[in-house]
Amino acid sequence: MKATIERATLLRCLSHVQSVVERRNTIPILSNVLIDAAETGSLKVMATDLDLQVVENMSAASVDTPGAITVSAHLLFDIARKLPDGSQVSLDAADGRMTVKAGRSRFSLPTLPRDDFPMIVEGDLPTKFELPAKTLAELIDRTRFAISTEETRYYLNGIFLHVSDEDRPLLKAAATDGHRLARFTLDRPDGADGMPDVIVPRKAVAELRKLLEESLDGHVQIDLSASKIRFTLGGEGGVVLTSKLIDGTFPDYSRVIPTGNDKLLRLDPRSFYEAVDRVATIATEKTRAVKMGLDKDKVTLSVTSPDNGTAAEELAAEYGADNLEIGFNANYLKDILSQIDSDNVELHLADAGAPTLIRKDDKASALYVLMPMRV
Amino acid sequence: MPQIRRLPETLINRIAAGEVVERPASALKELVENAIDAGSTRIGVNLVDGGLGGIEVSDDGCGMDPAEMALALERHATSKLPESLIGEAGAIEQVRTLGFRGEALPSIASVSRLTIESRPRDAESGWRKRIDHGELIENAPCAIPPGTRIRMEGLFDKLPARRKFLRTPRSEYAACLDVVRRLAMTRTDIAVTLDHGERRVLAVQAGEDLAERAAQIVTRELKENGVGIEFERPTETGELIRLTGIAGLPTYNRGVADHQYLFVNGRPVKDRLLIGAVRGAYSDMLARDRHAVLALFLELPAEDVDVNVHPAKTEVRFRDAAGVRGFIVSGLRRALASGDKRSAQGPDRSAMDRWQREPVEQPAAMRSIFAGSGWTPPAGNMARVQAYMRSDEADGEVLAMPQGRAETPMDEERPSPSYPLGIARGQVAQTYIVAEAEDGLVLVDQHAAHERLVLERLKAAGAEEAVSRSQALLMPEVVELDEPACDRLEEAIDTLAQHGLVIERFGPGAMLVRATPHALRNGDLAKLLEDIDDDLAKHGTALLLGEKLDLVLATMACHGSVRAGRNLTVAEMNALLREMERTPRSGQCNHGRPTWVKLSMDDVEKLFGRH
Repeated sequence: MKATIERATLLRCLSHVQSVVERRNTIPILSNVLIDAAETGSLKVMATDLDLQVVENMSAASVDTPGAITVSAHLLFDIARKLPDGSQVSLDAADGRMTVKAGRSRFSLPTLPRDDFPMIVEGDLPTKFELPAKTLAELIDRTRFAISTEETRYYLNGIFLHVSDEDRPLLKAAATDGHRLARFTLDRPDGADGMPDVIVPRKAVAELRKLLEESLDGHVQIDLSASKIRFTLGGEGGVVLTSKLIDGTFPDYSRVIPTGNDKLLRLDPRSFYEAVDRVATIATEKTRAVKMGLDKDKVTLSVTSPDNGTAAEELAAEYGADNLEIGFNANYLKDILSQIDSDNVELHLADAGAPTLIRKDDKASALYVLMPMRV
Repeated sequence: MPQIRRLPETLINRIAAGEVVERPASALKELVENAIDAGSTRIGVNLVDGGLGGIEVSDDGCGMDPAEMALALERHATSKLPESLIGEAGAIEQVRTLGFRGEALPSIASVSRLTIESRPRDAESGWRKRIDHGELIENAPCAIPPGTRIRMEGLFDKLPARRKFLRTPRSEYAACLDVVRRLAMTRTDIAVTLDHGERRVLAVQAGEDLAERAAQIVTRELKENGVGIEFERPTETGELIRLTGIAGLPTYNRGVADHQYLFVNGRPVKDRLLIGAVRGAYSDMLARDRHAVLALFLELPAEDVDVNVHPAKTEVRFRDAAGVRGFIVSGLRRALASGDKRSAQGPDRSAMDRWQREPVEQPAAMRSIFAGSGWTPPAGNMARVQAYMRSDEADGEVLAMPQGRAETPMDEERPSPSYPLGIARGQVAQTYIVAEAEDGLVLVDQHAAHERLVLERLKAAGAEEAVSRSQALLMPEVVELDEPACDRLEEAIDTLAQHGLVIERFGPGAMLVRATPHALRNGDLAKLLEDIDDDLAKHGTALLLGEKLDLVLATMACHGSVRAGRNLTVAEMNALLREMERTPRSGQCNHGRPTWVKLSMDDVEKLFGRH
């Protein structure tokens, strides 16, 4: 294989794929990216961690000899990063080495044969639909903070996507870590009917979100089966992200979304967030509980810490129900409040031990449920 | 068709013997208990081959006449239940002697060759009976001082199946020694000797005080590293429940729990409730795999405890188990809180041996980088000190460079008895505080000490409650466990809820977790419940959750405390020492290592051969 490519193109392309590659691998070839130069003058770059693969096409300045080779992803990325801007990079693979030349720099890197490079077998992906990149990005932003990191409950380690028919056909995304739940609802796109329930793993969500950042104006084509999902992004040359799905059953979360919470609290999410953040200053790492005292049109936030004393702050709010005291993990509360992009947030409460529903208003597509803490 | 027949008496006795006598040590236990119950003041025990060859127990107790001896060899015959009580339903509950079942002697007689010689105090002569596996082979007068002598030989000779399961003489001897030790500890008014073959293993005098006897029997260091316990509280019925004994300081710990001697109403027991209570009392002062050394005597009204649980009587049952546990824990903790401030605590012997007297070779890394580069050390004191330090360099050996830093004391403070930890004199290796007390030299590990102080302060401020605040689960988690495990957990629901773990029963073989302690919210719940259940099964009490939360606190304390490697000023060091004196249980870190050691002036003088 021998090809020449512009440094900026190479760098952009490698920056997309290299984060898929884990820093430490027991299988050597997983540290590598596959570079495939076609006669048509385009270069395909591919990286995988066996569960997730990203393929990106870029146009080369010239392809002298078509062929494919694998080389260390992080190494090549670091080299591309440090080369002078505007230089032409020539990649030449021969005799088990790849020579990288740009200007007066020369690198000779070890390679591994392309035939050993693992590919995810996609199989048949019967469900196909399209979403605006912006919508998909919002769906991810609103839910991903609630994804569990606990490996023992692996089926919570991702975003759950499913379709449902209520008064209109819907596509719903949900994530939970057992203490809080985030759900995002949108109108069902064409082609999503009969979609199987799937859980998209955390790492795929993170990589996808990064790729979306660069093509927010376009559309994303989504193809999926019960075990695999593929996202095809537009942009120059196009990026394809294929991921295995989490093989597990997401719990029936609809049961935990409270419907009969009659105590309604309305206030400004930004000042609420700041107040929680302020009083939580004295909370220590292990005791992040903030207590909310609800009176008529007033909320009193307070924190007691065994070694740092106490803090309290009063907030104006709209509240008319019976007085109530309830505690929450300050971080959980802040995570949710930072998702509300409005001047108003609604908290539907029942009592100090029951789940609390949080949303912008009754038309909002995002909805959050938070379990209280005993304080 | 098989016929149902009544078994012969000897066979019945052998079957019964299986329960009471399983190895020489259990036979020995019965014989020594008999001797104690006979009101002896002197008991001698003689073992041959760890008890496999033979056991002889002689005492100067009340003795038996020939007719009583014959009766004693029958099953369920005993002098230990007073006439007045027999026939009463509650007789067993009133027992104050060690034995009462009347089974031991016939059981032993049915599985060995037994010789009993006895003479009541007022009798002219003694009488001897020899029984070979249940059959009387000699019945004659003999010469013996007042008292009883029993010799057991050839245990299980006619029961090869049992004989096969006996261990080596060495391990049978260890079991026998343990039995004698435990019994000897119960009664300080009895002199006990133990000979193994030709060797005298144990000899304790009558009339010693308890601490001394425990020290002699357990280990000499216990007396120096232990605190006496004297704690009592009236029960609901108005009678007293009393805890006495000697408890080792947490810093004086062992890797196995063998050195815990527990007694209930003078009866040595191995009861999991008591073991659990001891662990609870020492929790957060000892690492999980270390065990305290102690001898505890619990006295409570006889009707509040049932000793008739097992023929060997090593297990007991309490009417108010939780109350007894709480009583032991609070008694122990109170003693430990007051006891670790004593100035008599000396370094243990091995630490003394580690003092080096020889000049040590200078490590290569410590050579000055300026050596040989034409650099001259600044004139003055420093130069002279260095010249002195290097004066032996020709020999290749120099004194170690001092790593410490001496500061001029702020004011001239003199050690006084009101400061048992002394006045700080400096810091060594930025880790250890050197202080001068009135009676010696004190070394303090600044990190361990401060960590402990922070932990005690956190606890005093209610941090335990804070870390165990429970975070409710959005979706209750079902954890499947086997049924007995669920039953155990169900019983502990209230205790666990206090620590923030809210669970409930979910069908016969599962538990439902509704809320977890905030600090443990990201753990594996199934694993947590399993571990708690194992703990419940082993100790009968859910200490584990509290211990896990203590660990969280300990981590908080660790992050919030002065690290090793930080320079402290004399004022800071003195403040630390004063706070250690004020804070209970500051003598050990959270893992049972000492936070300070004292080298008494005597020991210092010993190091210099001035003694």
